[in-house]
Amino acid sequence: MVAAKKTKKTHESINNRLALVMKSGRYTLGYKTVLKSLRNSKGKLVIIANNCPPLRKSEIEYYAMLAKVGVHHYNGNNVDLGTACGKYFRVCCLSIIDPGDSDIIKSMPSDH
Amino acid sequence: MVKFLKPNKAVILLQGRFAGRKAVIVRSFDDGTRDRPYGHCLVSGISKYPAKVIKKDSAKKTAKNSRVKAFMKVVNYSHLMPTRYTLDVDLKDVVSPDSLVTKDKKVTAAKEIKKRFEERFKTGKNRWFFSKLRF
Repeated sequence: MVAAKKTKKTHESINNRLALVMKSGRYTLGYKTVLKSLRNSKGKLVIIANNCPPLRKSEIEYYAMLAKVGVHHYNGNNVDLGTACGKYFRVCCLSIIDPGDSDIIKSMPSDH
Repeated sequence: MVKFLKPNKAVILLQGRFAGRKAVIVRSFDDGTRDRPYGHCLVSGISKYPAKVIKKDSAKKTAKNSRVKAFMKVVNYSHLMPTRYTLDVDLKDVVSPDSLVTKDKKVTAAKEIKKRFEERFKTGKNRWFFSKLRF
């Protein structure tokens, strides 16, 4: 459960993949929509920032366990995750609905 | 990617009069209806949990303490917390959206659910469902 120290390389690759999803895929940002996407089984991967409150984090993980969807704990806080998405606001959790050209779904679950 | 808000799923109500009560999904309307344009489902749950019953109790006490009061409600998905438990009690023939319209239909349906819940409680299965969630 304890992730090994994330190397610079894999962290950058997550950011690259996320940028590709933002450009070419479909996603939703924010706790309410993440839960919605898990409920109607549209979400394929959930990314949670590291300063997400623990109750909210475990709730999202529980929903993802029920929906059999992978959860990725992003190595950075919500400010960093928002920047990685190319947004000027904080993003605590996001759900990827359609990865577009990115291979984030295929490569990430093995990581987590 | 697996739909989990399916009939027979045990859920916990989060809002409303029955907040904190356990319920089981009877029918789910994922895409909503014209009156309720959001995902919702028909649940039937326990409004009054059965009290603790031990082997030493007399038959009268066991009978009195095993009573369950049931309710039916149409709930928005966002007011539910799904759990990993299921309860397969067949309630589809008893509970339907039109049984919630008039008071007498509601009462007869609730009585029937109560009977089925009590039967299930007496067999000792689904112990999690019939235990009160303490918070």
